Amino acid sequence: MRSAQPVERTGDVPRRVGNEVSIVLGQRKLLQRFGPGLMHAFIFWGFLVLAPTILIALIGVVDTHATLPWLGHQGWYALLVDVFAVLVLVGVLAELWIRKVQRPRRFEGSHLGEADLILGLIATIASTLLLWHATRIALGLNEWPRAWSPAAHALSHLFGRDEATRVLERVFVWAHVLTILAFLAYLPRSKHLHIGTAAVNVWFGRTGASGRLEPLRFDDEEVPEEEIRFGAGTATDLTWKQVLDTFSCTECGRCQDACPAFATGKALSPKLLMMGLRDQILAQDSSPLVPNAVTDDVVWDCVTCGACVEACPVSIEHVDHIVDLRRHLVMVESSFPAEAEPMLRDVERASNPWGKAQSERADWASELGVRVLEPGDRPPEYLYWVGCASSFDERARRTAESTAKLLNAAGVDFAILGPREACTGDPARRMGNEYVFQAFAEQNVATLNEAGVTKIVANCPHCFNTLANEYPDFGGRYEVIHHSELLSRLVREGKLSPQRSESRSITYHDSCYLARHNDVLGPPRELVSAVGQPVEMKRSGKRTFCCGAGGAHMWMEERGDAINAERVREAAGTGADTLAVACPFCTVMLDDGVQSGGQDLRVLDVATLLAEAIDAG
Amino acid sequence: MTVLVFVENIDDELSQQALTFARGLGDELHAVLIGAPAVPAGLAAYGVSIAHLAAGLDAYAPAAWAQAIVELVARTTPAAVMGPGTDRGNEVLAHIAAKTDQPMAANCMSIAAGDPASLVRVRWGGSLLEEARLHGSPMLLTVAPHAVAAEMVAEPADLVLEEFTPSVSNVDLIARVCERASAVSAGVSLTDADVVVSGGRGVGSAAGFAVIEELAELLGGAVGCSRAVTSAGWRPHTDQVGQTGTKISPEIYIACGISGATQHMAGCKGAKKLLAINPDGEASIFASADYAVIGDLHEVVPAISAEIRKARSA
Repeated sequence: MRSAQPVERTGDVPRRVGNEVSIVLGQRKLLQRFGPGLMHAFIFWGFLVLAPTILIALIGVVDTHATLPWLGHQGWYALLVDVFAVLVLVGVLAELWIRKVQRPRRFEGSHLGEADLILGLIATIASTLLLWHATRIALGLNEWPRAWSPAAHALSHLFGRDEATRVLERVFVWAHVLTILAFLAYLPRSKHLHIGTAAVNVWFGRTGASGRLEPLRFDDEEVPEEEIRFGAGTATDLTWKQVLDTFSCTECGRCQDACPAFATGKALSPKLLMMGLRDQILAQDSSPLVPNAVTDDVVWDCVTCGACVEACPVSIEHVDHIVDLRRHLVMVESSFPAEAEPMLRDVERASNPWGKAQSERADWASELGVRVLEPGDRPPEYLYWVGCASSFDERARRTAESTAKLLNAAGVDFAILGPREACTGDPARRMGNEYVFQAFAEQNVATLNEAGVTKIVANCPHCFNTLANEYPDFGGRYEVIHHSELLSRLVREGKLSPQRSESRSITYHDSCYLARHNDVLGPPRELVSAVGQPVEMKRSGKRTFCCGAGGAHMWMEERGDAINAERVREAAGTGADTLAVACPFCTVMLDDGVQSGGQDLRVLDVATLLAEAIDAG
Repeated sequence: MTVLVFVENIDDELSQQALTFARGLGDELHAVLIGAPAVPAGLAAYGVSIAHLAAGLDAYAPAAWAQAIVELVARTTPAAVMGPGTDRGNEVLAHIAAKTDQPMAANCMSIAAGDPASLVRVRWGGSLLEEARLHGSPMLLTVAPHAVAAEMVAEPADLVLEEFTPSVSNVDLIARVCERASAVSAGVSLTDADVVVSGGRGVGSAAGFAVIEELAELLGGAVGCSRAVTSAGWRPHTDQVGQTGTKISPEIYIACGISGATQHMAGCKGAKKLLAINPDGEASIFASADYAVIGDLHEVVPAISAEIRKARSA
């Protein structure tokens, strides 16, 4: 940790306290999987309740008749202890059952023997505690009415009030204390270290939007040249939070279970990524992280969808690791999937990832009466940031056309930048090319600030995320909203009145960068409900499943099974006739998936759905 | 300051440029030549005073060539070793760097002497210029192609030739050129083809490509395909035309059963003429097409082939 790189994670204390309360005390992330989560919560809450009993037992070892002042005499505390000792046992047995009988795939590659040993130790601690209490009740040594300890009381019937019980009482208390001491000695070397690191890692977790990447500071005068990071090449290039991440990992595999790359047979498992990095840190191995800790394909398989981060109960931020590994590979080693090179070159040279002419950027709007903002013009209320995909891709263009028509119909004062809009730099950044990203961030911020823009509406969640969460790092502060937010407001205000069709069944696919990274869940659903009958997929909202395009995968070849095909199968399984999306990349990926899979589904952006429903009305 | 330049081929512009570049740093220029067919004329014209000729290493073997230069460096202790920014120049210098455990800078545009020397080099296939400092004794670098124009010296000095026989181990010879064979290819490559006939999802199956192959063969062209086809496993990825496949620039591109996704069009925008065949009149490929046939490729393509045959036999 001491040789790790700096990262700012100290401000925003109220939110950090909130995270401790909800994620640690409330076990919020664990309870995302209710069954196993509740079992863990039993053990964790039990640990908190039973902590003072360690002292009580230590006193009991020395003096049979002594206990903690005050707390040791409280009946309500005895009841809590009794109940939680049982709940801990229930939790441990259930977890053993999950691990030994159910054997879910998420444990593949985890240290299973270690987990069994730990569960065994916890079971021993809880059961010796109950048995110790039972013998004390049998011997009449307890400090409180036996009704306060229903479980121990029931067990006390096994013991008589005799010498044998007196010996057993000593055996149980000693067994209890010695197991605890053995556990404490074992703990720092085991994955169970998370009882120490998890709460710390949660405290230092991100408090802002999960879609923001930490900028590399190339041009900052305050950063001495030799301290400039170019991502992570070796273990010492990792930030201290990243190191702490690896030590917090309990190998529970929730990340792996949520990962679209893993689900489609790719090399990446976010869990094995953490374990690989941790092994290399512990070995104090100074060789390159790629390919020693993780292989090259692991780094490139990631779609940066953040499902792993969302699933992680201890606030590990896997995507930051992946992006730092990519940054090093791209900027220092010049090593990345060859097929992505045209995209990087075209972003730099042509300001869009397909190398189209910038002069054609506003072609889609030529017959729609959209104002193109020229230098010196009066700023509009909303700048409509169209994005490259909706400007140039023939399928995504329909979104831009629909949005412009709807905004015109509702009388919204808006304009586009036309040829002065450039790629936000997002695909280059997610590929690891921070140089190119920062050049575009500076250029776009200069354009927007000069134009006097204060509010931006974007239909692309990737542009939206970059504009809202990442441009503030480069001096661009705007009120950024997604087009679904503006359009749903216009419907609510009665400025747009779509015709609702009861017979039309629509399932909405959440975009990762909209739902998970930016918490925009309601507005697109409002639009869906305004035009038809909504039906949800199992993986929806913040637990959505990526379309496969994120993290610059729009411009890479996919190995293994296709993520978009998997998602389209899920959408078709709802029986919906329309698959609504709110992202131009989701539009293209899922439409491709439908064409390959032959499902009977129309893939449409919510803006297009709304525009059609208004034309119909 | 003595600078040793690895001269791959003195008749090649890039080697001449490397020598010109080297004159900007050193006042005494040595050249090392390995596997050169004859005593090279023209070295003196580029300012070389001593040419070292390594004997016994005619076939290219990067590690062995590097070993020869490492021995020469030990004997002549130049301040810098340079090579041309060619594949071989970069490879040999990289091996020298590995053998001597010294840093190496590839593709340098300019250099200013100093300790360490400061230089500007090309990264990212030409899109990024990096300012760097180069330590090392000797400094190892290659010269970016066309960083400088090749210039002869006004008054060439007399050239001294020194032959030497490096002691190369068998390990250094593991990777070497053993045999040369001319490229045998079944057809025209996608990149160079004047005619490319591509099939998309509309072809329907791997076997369906027979009609595409037939037309390509009749026209002396290459067969391409869209990403949907490679994803379905009907054709290898090497046939894929598009953003993440091959970029083509034929005289005419015949796209059959391809809808015209942006990802595909990014790969064929270099085509001079586009003939699109697709049953869906709304397909976006027609927006870019010079000629359009709205119809099923399995009827249209064989009909075109038949017409060509008929015209040729007439």
